Amino acid sequence: MKQSHIRNFCIIAHIDHGKSTLADRLIQVTGAVAARDMTEQHLDTMDLERERGITIKAQAIRLAYTAKDGQAYELNLIDTPGHVDFSYEVSRSLQACEGALLLVDATQGIQAQTLANIYLALEHNLTIIPIVNKVDMIAANPEGTAQEIIQAFGFKREEILTASGKTGAGVPEILEEIIARVGPPTGDAGAPLRALIFDSKYDPYKGVMAYVRVQDGAVRESDKVRLMGTGVDADVLEVGYFTPELRKAESLGVGQVGYVATGLKNVRDCRVGDTVTLSARQASAALAGYKPLKPMVFTGLYPVDGESYPALREALEKLQLNDAALQFEPESSAALGFGFRAGFLGLLHMDVVQERLEREFGMNLIATAPSVSYIVELTDGKEVTVDNPSKMPDPQKIGETREPWVNITVITPAKFIGPIMELVTGRRGVYVKMEYLQSTTRPEDGKTPGQNARVLLEYNIPLAEILVDFHDQLKSRTQGYASMDYALAGHQAGDLVKLDVLVNHEPVDALSLVLHRSNAQRQGRELASRLKALIPRQMFEVPIQAAIGGKIIARETIPAMRKDVLAKCYGGDITRKRKLLEKQAEGKKRMKRIGSVEVPQEAFMAVLRLDRD
Amino acid sequence: MPLAHPKPSRTWPWAPGTERGIGLYVHIPFCETKCPYCDFNTYSGIEALIPTYMAALRAETARWGDLLGHPRVRTVFFGGGTPSYVPGAEMTAIIAAYQSAFDVMQDAEVTLEANPGDVTVEKLATWLKAGVNRLSMGVQSFDDALLKMLGRRHTAQQAEIAYGMAREAGFTNMSLDLMFGLPEQTLAQWQESVERVVSLGSEHLSLYGLQLEHGTPLEAAVRTGRLPEPDQDLAADMYQFAVERLAAAGYLGYEISNWAKPGLESRHNLMYWRCESYLGLGPGAHSSMFGVRFADIKSPRGYVAAVRGMAGARPESGPPLTGRDIVFEMKAHGPVDFIEETTEPMARAEFLMMGLRLAEGIQESDFRTRFGAGLNESFAGVISGLTDDGLLKSDQQGIRLTPRGRLLGNEAFRRFVEAAEAAPPTDARI
Repeated sequence: MKQSHIRNFCIIAHIDHGKSTLADRLIQVTGAVAARDMTEQHLDTMDLERERGITIKAQAIRLAYTAKDGQAYELNLIDTPGHVDFSYEVSRSLQACEGALLLVDATQGIQAQTLANIYLALEHNLTIIPIVNKVDMIAANPEGTAQEIIQAFGFKREEILTASGKTGAGVPEILEEIIARVGPPTGDAGAPLRALIFDSKYDPYKGVMAYVRVQDGAVRESDKVRLMGTGVDADVLEVGYFTPELRKAESLGVGQVGYVATGLKNVRDCRVGDTVTLSARQASAALAGYKPLKPMVFTGLYPVDGESYPALREALEKLQLNDAALQFEPESSAALGFGFRAGFLGLLHMDVVQERLEREFGMNLIATAPSVSYIVELTDGKEVTVDNPSKMPDPQKIGETREPWVNITVITPAKFIGPIMELVTGRRGVYVKMEYLQSTTRPEDGKTPGQNARVLLEYNIPLAEILVDFHDQLKSRTQGYASMDYALAGHQAGDLVKLDVLVNHEPVDALSLVLHRSNAQRQGRELASRLKALIPRQMFEVPIQAAIGGKIIARETIPAMRKDVLAKCYGGDITRKRKLLEKQAEGKKRMKRIGSVEVPQEAFMAVLRLDRD
Repeated sequence: MPLAHPKPSRTWPWAPGTERGIGLYVHIPFCETKCPYCDFNTYSGIEALIPTYMAALRAETARWGDLLGHPRVRTVFFGGGTPSYVPGAEMTAIIAAYQSAFDVMQDAEVTLEANPGDVTVEKLATWLKAGVNRLSMGVQSFDDALLKMLGRRHTAQQAEIAYGMAREAGFTNMSLDLMFGLPEQTLAQWQESVERVVSLGSEHLSLYGLQLEHGTPLEAAVRTGRLPEPDQDLAADMYQFAVERLAAAGYLGYEISNWAKPGLESRHNLMYWRCESYLGLGPGAHSSMFGVRFADIKSPRGYVAAVRGMAGARPESGPPLTGRDIVFEMKAHGPVDFIEETTEPMARAEFLMMGLRLAEGIQESDFRTRFGAGLNESFAGVISGLTDDGLLKSDQQGIRLTPRGRLLGNEAFRRFVEAAEAAPPTDARI
């Protein structure tokens, strides 16, 4: 394929704005997948993606398209996740493209992640084609949405397309506009090979499969290649493209997107963001890679059954192969035994990993409450990073504790500003600015915007405060209308304390929390009372205490169990009753023992359900 | 004629055979109405089946008598269902049937469960004449509102009258059942019920804490919030009250839920708690002997059909069957539907779980006789743990639950059952 006839593009959108459905239509219209093989959300191959209706992993597909000018084109569509937690996947995909389709749902207008994604696309100098989607819906307001796009991003009205992923309306026009507006890849076919690795997968037969976009030169089967970052050499076993299944090809040339089977056995040798070149004819400089990802949220993952520890390690390692953002290291807890401290990009990422561990690997897990990463300056001047509350140094030794803050952007109808303000300030958030998405006066009546005018709000807030149920709260206080996005905004000192929980006078490391001093008393009390409800009565009285620096701030007592006995046991009951007792004994074995107290798994999640507002 | 099961007969020291005499349980699966808390194998509305059913029961009785070689019977228990609900003549006939099939001891205890609503002078006289010498009446409560909630078809007053009639008729050994820990039941209501049974002076009392059995209407009512969930601390208070009040009235609390005047314990039920041999007759009735536990088919109609199919199944020629082969024969050509081998670890678990229900607990010597090792050899850890928790007392004679342990029996049972099944058999007999 001639370089001038290649178009690489992706679709960016807020979650649920119809990205996967539009991708399905593009695939159908170009006939890339036979009608009988077509499924909904065709590029979302994970069960979890289909169930939740979200895209987690970027996927690529090559489409053959004959345009109205009679010429054949090769379109490479790279599907991207919409959720902020997976924006690293988005930014990787963007780097492999020259253009982006910006989808905005005509029933909802611009949302927080629309903004985040468009800024990412602009950063990568992509040609953006704005599309108002879902125009077939009764509630659609295509013109209002188009006006919002004009207002917010400065597009001209004639640049904005309308479409319906559901009915297919507008899809042929989109294809034509891609050809017309998105430029062909620029690159030098005669220069030494440079291909950017935007993803990788492990195949037991072909080794590490590097998913690449070729910038300069070409790569073909049996080439000897070098990975410029790691300095590792490999033999190319096969090259090909995506349909989205892998399809073998002779070579990949400038601008083309496909895979290179390296035969490498170690995924670490083939890092995402690295540049592939030829061993014999090396490029002088590598392509700009990706910013290394830093996890923002940490949790302890423990197997319920201690014997599954090696299996958990293996499962995490496998997930890490194509989830570069997932980090983990071994840790141990007095209460939970051996496990791992895992770092994630956000809560959805954490959730998805946990669910994949449970479903794809059959793991039975206890996850401790999520924590952020604190920077602690000790009185002796040293600095330590703490991502596990139980590892917080002794309060006497702490000079200052700094916590990560984020900048959040919320888009909402104006009538919800009050409730949002209340939510954010209740969680130590600081107001930054407010802007109307439409012009402040309407041309038709000259009045100030009404209750439904849409507003962009910006705040700074400690990351720890939005970890648990912030998004749910935001949705429930705005009847689902508000959307939000966040970006890290550095560390700031805070009056933070570590809350310890003692069960029957024994500290439970897995329940420790770092809190702002102003909330500690209230949350300590609530945690103690939640634990009281979750821990079953034992043979003896069990005190539950919450303490800060050795000082008890809350106490609850679980009274001793008084009656637990089968009333009747006669001739016909014996087998059944014996089995019942065996089952109960088995259930007790699954509980974690803290001293002599049996604590069910749910207790370790109690922290998550603390009422924060 | 090949044997139904090729295994040679053996002895299972931890599970006695029939030599020492067995307990006989006879199931009467009919009720006028089904109580909402009951999950037993009983039915209402199939009264037409009664004559056919009773004939099948007599046939099964005769068959077991033949196969087992007419063993000695120490106790008989008519349970259900509602044995008092079937015509008196049917009871006379079934009693005659087992008397000819088994060697019923002269002083055998013969108990019949009666609903106070069924008791008539005629029925009482018939039962006594046929050989019933112990009457167990399900009074359940002396509060009419609670009786109504429990779906009982008698009032407190009717129960007292029925009790008086039974005394009048000549029953000298009587047992009354009460229930506590009921939804909406107050401590005062319970105390009143206990006082009433004490004043009646029944020889034996069974006081059952309500267990909400899955699938019963009462359980559904509590689950869906139509009735309040019984408070287990209040139930513990009720139990505690009964323990003290009945001790003062001269009753011995010889089992977790059972009290008796000295020497008038239920001999039949003691056989269950001591893991002795018993034979159950009728649908769903369980038996235990020769190291197997077995039960007849649950459905009354299926049972009748299975018993009919038994006729002439095996000619009376050839060497007589012994031990487990008898049970397998009744599975192949009779109403037995379920057989479970009791392995030695299971037998140990059950011996502990059942024996600990008794105030006498488990005798060191009994345990050693059955299992070839002392309690401390297998259960030192469990015994010391439960002793530390104040649930168990142990001495040279054996082990038994403390008063606190009786209310928390499941904790002790669980630990013993777990340890009993984890321990290897004491020798290689199985």
